[in-house]
Amino acid sequence: MAFLAWIGAPVRSFLAFLGDQAHLVLRTLRSGLALRAGQVAVVGGQTKLQVRFTGLDAALLVAGMALLLGAVTLIQAFSQLSGLGAEHYIGTLMVVIILRELGPLLTAVLVIGRSATAIAAELGTMQLNGEVDALLAHGVDPYRYLLLPRWAGVLVAVFALVVCFDAAALGGGFLVARLKYGLAWGFFMDSVRQALSNLDFAATLLKVALFAGAITFHACHFGLGVRRSQTEIPQAVTRTVVSALAAVFVIDGLIAALFYF
Amino acid sequence: MLQVRGLACESPEGRPLAEGLDLAVGKGGNLLVTGASGSGKSRLLKVLAGLERPRRGEVRLGGIAVWPGDGALALLGRIRVGFAFAAGGLLSNLSLVDNLALPLRFLGLPEAEVSRRSEGALIRLGLGPLARLRPHAVSGAARKHANLARVLALEPELVILDDPLEGLDAADRGAALELIRAWAADPGCTLVMAMEEAETLSGLAAERLHLQSVPAAPMEPA
Repeated sequence: MAFLAWIGAPVRSFLAFLGDQAHLVLRTLRSGLALRAGQVAVVGGQTKLQVRFTGLDAALLVAGMALLLGAVTLIQAFSQLSGLGAEHYIGTLMVVIILRELGPLLTAVLVIGRSATAIAAELGTMQLNGEVDALLAHGVDPYRYLLLPRWAGVLVAVFALVVCFDAAALGGGFLVARLKYGLAWGFFMDSVRQALSNLDFAATLLKVALFAGAITFHACHFGLGVRRSQTEIPQAVTRTVVSALAAVFVIDGLIAALFYF
Repeated sequence: MLQVRGLACESPEGRPLAEGLDLAVGKGGNLLVTGASGSGKSRLLKVLAGLERPRRGEVRLGGIAVWPGDGALALLGRIRVGFAFAAGGLLSNLSLVDNLALPLRFLGLPEAEVSRRSEGALIRLGLGPLARLRPHAVSGAARKHANLARVLALEPELVILDDPLEGLDAADRGAALELIRAWAADPGCTLVMAMEEAETLSGLAAERLHLQSVPAAPMEPA
């Protein structure tokens, strides 16, 4: 009996968490669908702010990281492939490692570190200051004013950052391939193009959509869960990071199994 | 306008604050809630506005079920409520004028009307020169007035004021008192307010409710 209770408590709290996530998603979707003409400018303005913070402000960091990663991946891969006489597989390797997996995954990790933490801390502070109550009391739907723009903003930003990451990583890879091994642009890109398929685009788009949702709603769940004291804010931020990272890795694994297994 | 039946609520730590409360305030009516600090006045106002869930009981505003139900979400777009909080409540990333304008923009009012109402309300409360400042850049009294100005700009059917004069000295009280009197005299506006010291506003309220303090349970010896 004690063993069942030991198992049951975390299962119950996990199911409650999933239920709350579903509730947040559905309410935000519903509030988005019921958006009235006069509210579009307000919600659009908030979305732009989120895109700027999550996307634009992080673009240089993501591009720099991707450039280095692309260069390092190519150095490691090329030395192995050339030993086997399989240099023409370099594009396949870049697509499999960078475009399919590391691009979306590392972008999501970076967005969790930079933006999910900020969203959780901001919403937690707003809860403590009574700002969320004030919105609701004065007829401003918090799902529409707080959650919808963050979701839309993170979605647009994650998509843009993944494109930026992939382009910079390929650029870094090509730079090394050109400077060290004298590979031509045409050979490099042909190799990448042959390895890419429509399935890769579909998988990446699905990852972007699910990662953005998981990141936003984990941050909103823990941020809005702050109730009584400021000491809850760092706890909410930590929980957001751990929980969103777990969700992103699980989603990544499921998509890999669904598309490539 | 406001109907309460069998309401019971408690403090966040589980201390009972009100038990079996019945209330009815008609349209244009006024209710003054009094009680010592910690008696649950603020909690009760939040329950009435649908911001906090009661332990049990029913709350209806303008015929709409608030509890049991979705709380304030059920009121969105159906009844205009103005709530002046005892502390906080202004969005810290918006200027005072944008704090007032946000609910009006959500109502879908034209921008000219939004500006007229929000700037007019700030000027009436003496906050015209501070309109572009954020809440943290103004005094506590100015934030209190800005909370009242937001309610004024919204032209609500139900006004809820939580200790509206607390922290205001005699010089600052004039504009706030004038505004509260105007709401009390307006037949289209229902006014519910809570105060610790009731003398200042008691003449304005047709109905009164006094909340008794329930002492916290004594700590068990270790």
